[in-house]
Amino acid sequence: MNPEQIVTEAVDYGIKLGAGEVAAAVTHEKRKMLRFANNSITVAQSWDQIVPTVYMVSKRKRAAARVEDPNVDSLKEVMKSLKAVMDISKGGEVEPSLPKGPFSYTPVPKTYDGRIPQMTAELVDVVEETMNSALAEGAKRTSGTLVTSEWERYVKTSTGAEGTDKGTNIDLTVRAFLTDDSSGQGISCATRLDDFNPKLAGTTAGRIASQAKNPVFGEEGRYRVLFGPTIMADLLGRIADFASAYYVDLGLSCLVGKIGQKVASEKLTIADDGRMAGGINSCSLDEEGYPTQRTTIIDHGILNTYLHSSYSVAKYGGTLTGSAFFVGGTWGIAPVPMNVIVEPGDCREDQLFGQLGDGLYLTNNWYTRFQNYQTGDFSSICRDGAFQIKNGKIERPLKGLRISDNLPRILQSITSLSTERTWIKWWEVPTPVYVPHAIVEDIGITRATK
Amino acid sequence: MEDLVHYLVEFASAKGVDYAEARLHVDAGSGVTLNNGIPEPIQLAKVKGIGIRLLIDGAMSFASTNDLSKESLRETAEHAYRTAKASKRLVGSPIRLSQEKSEEARWEAKAQRPVQDVPIEEKFALLEEIEKNLRPDIVKVGLPSRTLVLFDDLSERYFANTEGARIRGIVSRIGILYVLTASEPGKGTVQRIGQHGETGGWERLDAWNAPRLVSEEASTLGKVLREGKHAPREELDLVLGQEVTGIICHESCGHPQEADRILGREAAQAGESYLKPDMIGYRVGTEAVTIVDDPTIPNSNGFYLYDEEGVKARRRTLIKEGVIADFLYNRETAAELGVNSNGAARAVSYDREPIIRMANTFMLPGNYTDEELIEDVKNGVFIKTFMEWNIDDRRYNQRYVGLEAYLIEKGEISTPVTSPVLEITTPGLYGSVDAVGRDVRFEAATCGKGEPDQGAPVWHGGPAMRLKRVKLGG
Repeated sequence: MNPEQIVTEAVDYGIKLGAGEVAAAVTHEKRKMLRFANNSITVAQSWDQIVPTVYMVSKRKRAAARVEDPNVDSLKEVMKSLKAVMDISKGGEVEPSLPKGPFSYTPVPKTYDGRIPQMTAELVDVVEETMNSALAEGAKRTSGTLVTSEWERYVKTSTGAEGTDKGTNIDLTVRAFLTDDSSGQGISCATRLDDFNPKLAGTTAGRIASQAKNPVFGEEGRYRVLFGPTIMADLLGRIADFASAYYVDLGLSCLVGKIGQKVASEKLTIADDGRMAGGINSCSLDEEGYPTQRTTIIDHGILNTYLHSSYSVAKYGGTLTGSAFFVGGTWGIAPVPMNVIVEPGDCREDQLFGQLGDGLYLTNNWYTRFQNYQTGDFSSICRDGAFQIKNGKIERPLKGLRISDNLPRILQSITSLSTERTWIKWWEVPTPVYVPHAIVEDIGITRATK
Repeated sequence: MEDLVHYLVEFASAKGVDYAEARLHVDAGSGVTLNNGIPEPIQLAKVKGIGIRLLIDGAMSFASTNDLSKESLRETAEHAYRTAKASKRLVGSPIRLSQEKSEEARWEAKAQRPVQDVPIEEKFALLEEIEKNLRPDIVKVGLPSRTLVLFDDLSERYFANTEGARIRGIVSRIGILYVLTASEPGKGTVQRIGQHGETGGWERLDAWNAPRLVSEEASTLGKVLREGKHAPREELDLVLGQEVTGIICHESCGHPQEADRILGREAAQAGESYLKPDMIGYRVGTEAVTIVDDPTIPNSNGFYLYDEEGVKARRRTLIKEGVIADFLYNRETAAELGVNSNGAARAVSYDREPIIRMANTFMLPGNYTDEELIEDVKNGVFIKTFMEWNIDDRRYNQRYVGLEAYLIEKGEISTPVTSPVLEITTPGLYGSVDAVGRDVRFEAATCGKGEPDQGAPVWHGGPAMRLKRVKLGG
């Protein structure tokens, strides 16, 4: 049975069971991955998965299921169980209603490249080009991941929405090492080969690794910092997550109760854009069948809106943002950002160093953890190249540093953004972020005391 | 459906591969949630699929599908074959697997009362009982945000390879997760994210007494908010509670002693290690420190008796009396380092390759009572639980921020302190341990590693331990 038939049967069966409203989606994705380390491919992986999801609403009761089994009888069996538990559950406090269709869906340009699914041996060539680009910059070893994806999604609801979409992706992360503590990272992610640049990713990783030769332990203190786009993507990607009404509802957000308030520097504007041409996660409809859109989350420092699904609109008001996807969690379908778009600044990337003057240039981070999601107190480890900057020039590479600060304070302290932007999506940044470099004032830096 | 696994292995074998294994998973799970007392949508999950891993001329491939038609399985195996062949030209040293005994076995994490048989009303009743015990008049603090989740899953797996191994495994697991935000006027907020999990059935909940446990946690948040003073930052003696010992064992012992990290295979994601292959015998701590990883503990969250390469599980001593004693190996890293696998290969689903994972990592107990650990401290801090934590990708520079913590003055616990920060290197930490308590406690967690990410259920734990002369900072 093809995915289109599965969603139709699922919706019909849900109504037959007595559910008030039903949304069903089936995503068929074929992925390939080459992982490499020590200049050698460690494993070639591939996946072919058809994953139906279903969301049922009956007055104040909701239920959701993910069934990694394309057999429609398995899906119906799970739906029957879902309906049975819905019948005896107490239900929530509001009566959500799925978006009323039909809707027209305009395909998003530049999201599919038929050449990408055909690549198998060519992927090895891409890895080789990436490795060689990094090694040419002086790196001694490389590691990373190259992933391609071809996906097709069908969505149908009992409220008249029905649509389909498809896309391709090619994502590369490369980490280059000169020595164990001199490393750099490069990223290239795109929906089409024309926008994919493995050579630049390799060169970037290799160059940073070489610049980071012989790092010394940095000192704790407060610094003016130039953050590379990978760090900004981590921090601002989290802000986009925190703008989801789901995290607001759970109390796991530093944006709770701040709609209309100044939450960031006026230089910062962040949007979620599910319709951006060539956007890494762009698509024309969400999994409640509502058309995707561009939603400005923070407009020149002012928190404009949360991202919404039909449930959060029923609970908190506001309007749908085309952000409802099956993400598991406790809601089943919840609002999530698709492509986090950070508006550029007015300073060229190379000029930012001069503007920084004296401070730190940090290229990457990982392991960001919060003490308290509402206050935004957190720390994150500096990874790969970290540099002390003096008079706008690299003075020396550093190691052993940790960003220990407060995310709302950081947002307010952004003083400059670059004109250039790049897509960031990797292991630590699962939602793609299109992001510039940024100078942030007075960043807390700590290090081990023994 | 075991015949499908055999079919895949035989199909791959007929193509002349050096090695093939296939693994079928049939998993089912459910979750119920109360958010501020309101039921959230009930969630069910069902997963069924097969993964195959091949070794051809030193190149490795892994492929998976959830379309279990023979046509799909053949295409999956063909694709794995083609990609391994294609990648061969960029494989440096040929990948090999260690020689291990091929076993036929069946293992099970038994449930006395299968969670799948428990009515939904009973599950919600438990959460409502927890919720009832979070009333402000009971916990003495406002809790504006409360999320309570009860989850379970049943995983049935069948593994076979070209060497004759045939392993059937069944794991039933149950857990609770709670997210509490406490608020006191003029004092701000504090959050606690807690998790408990075990293998087994509904009967495991009896031992937890979740309503009392979560209620006590909430009361503690109020105490921290109302009474907490700024933590000192000078050099002092530090007593770390069982929960903190556990996360330390996981992060700065278990992870850096995973052989795939030591050999650089995870460098672009989870990172590498401060240890090198020749550092067995390296002293990293005092003689008080012995840390093991043991998958075979009955009812543990990381329980298994055979790993996902068919190797029999056993306890691994990672640090013995302060000295690096062993690493965690799968068959690939064992072959590269000239040893045998110690059964550390895990995969969380049919669509994930088996990689080296911890199971239940903990510090072995010493001879001190908790009172004795405290009474010798003239000026110090006791950190009982933690909130924020992280560690660098070489597992050397780590940070733990205390949640429930107290000053120790003249051998006695006194005033609560807020957010004490221990930021310290791995040798600095283990080298400062002068005494270890008697009572071991475990905490459940989900450990992330691999690409695609694999969240593996684990336990970590240990007794309380005392560190001499460390400086708090942050």
